[in-house]
Parts: sequence; C-alpha cells; structure tokens
Amino acid sequence: MRRVIVAVSIAAFTALLAYATTVAGALGYLGLETRALARMFLALAYNPNLRELTAMSPAAVAAIVWDFRGVDTLYETVVFYMAIISALAIYRGVHKVGGGGSVGLSLIVRVVTKLLIPMNIAIAVSIAVHGHLTPGGGFQAGATLAVVSVLLAVVYSVNSFSRVGVEVSKAVALQSTGLIAIAAVVFTPLIYGVLTGAQAYLMQNYVKVDSGFHFPAEVLGQLISGTLIWLNIAEFLAVSFGFFTVFMLLSLREEVVKQPLLGEGHGS
Amino acid sequence: MRRYVPVALLVFVVYIVFSGSVSPYDIVIGAVLAVAVSALTTRFLVSDGGKALSLRRLANLVKYALYYLTVAEFKAHSLVIRIILSRDMPVRPAIVRVPYRAKNPYTIVGSANSITNTPGTVVVDLDTGRSVFYVHWIRAVGLDPETTYREILKVFEEGLSKVFE
Repeated sequence: MRRVIVAVSIAAFTALLAYATTVAGALGYLGLETRALARMFLALAYNPNLRELTAMSPAAVAAIVWDFRGVDTLYETVVFYMAIISALAIYRGVHKVGGGGSVGLSLIVRVVTKLLIPMNIAIAVSIAVHGHLTPGGGFQAGATLAVVSVLLAVVYSVNSFSRVGVEVSKAVALQSTGLIAIAAVVFTPLIYGVLTGAQAYLMQNYVKVDSGFHFPAEVLGQLISGTLIWLNIAEFLAVSFGFFTVFMLLSLREEVVKQPLLGEGHGS
Repeated sequence: MRRYVPVALLVFVVYIVFSGSVSPYDIVIGAVLAVAVSALTTRFLVSDGGKALSLRRLANLVKYALYYLTVAEFKAHSLVIRIILSRDMPVRPAIVRVPYRAKNPYTIVGSANSITNTPGTVVVDLDTGRSVFYVHWIRAVGLDPETTYREILKVFEEGLSKVFE
C-alpha cells in the first residue's frame, strides 16, 4: 500500500510539473522569446557604443555580478569572509594540520590524483582569468581550486597538509591578499576622485554620464573589461583559500582539536 | 632544471586546451602558470628529469598506447564477447594474486589501470608491501602466480617498464 502511494505521488508530481512548465507556462517565457530585462543586459554587457552604460564584458553574468550589482557581490564576499573568520575563531589555537603517519588511499588513487592536481590548478586559473570573457569567474574558479584541498584530505589523508607545505596560516594569508586586492579595486576610484577632484564612484568600472573615470577596458588589444578581470582574480584567491582554510580545519579529528581548545578553557 | 619541464608542459597544454585560445594573453598567462605550478608540484611528480625528457621513452609510451588501444583492447573485448555469445557461458570467475616486478609507481599504476580498463579483468586491490595485485578475472585459467602473471600482467608491465623504469 505504501509503495502504491509513493508511486502515485511521484507520477502525480511529474505530471503536474510537466503540465506547469509546458501548458500552463508557470516558468514564464519558454522558447525563443527574450524578456525585456534580458534584452537590456545583453545590449549593455559589452557595448562600446554606449560608453556610459556598458560594463565592457561580453560575459553578461560577470557584467551583472561585478558591475551592475557589484556591491551585492562585494557584500557576499564579505559574508563569506566572515564565515571563515568564525571558523578560525572556533578553531583558535589550532595552527598545524597534519603530521601523523597515515598515508591515505591506495597507490593507484594517490598516483592518479597527484597527476590531476596540476591540471586542476591550470583549469581553475583558466576559469578565473576568462571570467570577463566566458562563463565562470572568481568564485567558480575558487571552488574548482578548493577541490585540491579535499583531494589532499581524502586521498593523501589529513596528515599530508603539513607534509606538502599547505598550512592554515598560509591559506589565510592568501585569502586576505585576495580580499585586500578587492578592496584596492573598490577604493581606487575614490582615491582618484580625492586626488584629482574629479567625479568618481566607489567600485566604478567604466565611464558614467557624470564621470570620466574608468579602468582600462583593453590592454594591448586584449579585452580585460576594466575592474572585472582584477575582481575575478582577487575573488579567485579569496574564495579558493577561504575554502582551503575551512576544509583543512573541518578535516581535523576531534581529539586533535579538543586539546588546544580545552587547554584554553581550563585557563592553562 | 630539466626535471621541471614535464609538469610545466602538462600545465601549459591543459591550460591552452581548456581555454580554447592561443591569443597572446593566454600564451603569456599559460607560460607563467606553467612555471609556477611546475615549481610547486614537480618535487611530488618527477624524480628523474633525464627519464622524463627521454625521446626513446616517449616513443615507447606512444608504442605502448597504440598497442594497448588496439591489440590489447581488441583481444580482451573479443574474449568477453565470445563468453557473452556462447551458449554455455564459460566463465570461471576468481580473484587471483598477480605478482608485479615493477618498482616505479607510474609503472605499477599504469599496469593496474591497463588491467582494469580491459574487459574481463579488474584490479580490486593491491599490496605494495608484497608487490601483488588482487585481480578479479572472469575466466581464470590458472591460479598460480606464474600463470596469472603471464596471462594478465606480462605484456602491460613489460611495455610500461620501457617507459618508466
């Protein structure tokens, strides 16, 4: 009886979903029609003829997340950083991850993983530095690179981190470098405005109606889309090493973590 | 110094292929990245620069790849196809011990993956202390180490030894 109910409910849900998305058009426009909002973004993402409105990036999503709603992305990055700071606060006193004798999974998995890691880094960097041209960007690239930390923890064991020179303090330093670089890009127009007396806006990418300030959209004929390339690279550092930090801390065994934490709690 | 070349080449090629672009922008970034990643990871990947850049070994690798992808795969597939199509299903499944002689991890892993990728045999585990693979064999014609080595591993290990050992 239970099975019948489950089967009927799955069938009913599938049919309803199919009906809603096709006949009833619950998702709105399906097919070749483009919504007015989408048309606007497509027209403005990269448009050298509309200098005051464009983000100078053919990757419409990158144009939206780092220019049209750039401040929103900035705050998302801050929230992410706050989460990492919280993790570091909880794990205070835990400086070194690794150092035991365990060697992880079998030789076959270890050798194949070892070969995959340099390729993983190459792909992550490619996603980051093409974020202003193709789908991808700093966050996606950071998540890709963070896979390396998970591979190290699972395939080579937690003990491998200190052996290969990956340390929490280094990861935090690299993450902070990324965040400082983001801040530098954000404040550059402000500093320019203060120094020259010209009109410029925080996090400004390209020229505006009342401001001639802009980051270079092209260098030696290569489109770099103003702030977008720098924000993507900086976000790549911040996100990947933020994840590195958290994954390293989360992979620790309870007794390793408890020792420094309880030591502090007992006032020693 | 020569040690660092193979990883740098690998990273550069992967970067360019994944990016799908040979613009000056990508060539410069790819080159810088290749140098940086190679400097960081070569010590885990390459122990002998001379071996890694030997053209004779590269030729042996190409030869092995061609042999493996054509002859070895064809033989293994035809055996399994014959088993599937025959009326009485002549299988004799067993997990057998296959001793290996290689010392280099790349030879060991390459042999193990060659065995697994041909139908009919799968490496289910390995014991590096005793230098044996545990292989699931769909038609075990013998269980003694000489037979299993000759039937399952010999050609793979000999081919790969000329590349890595």
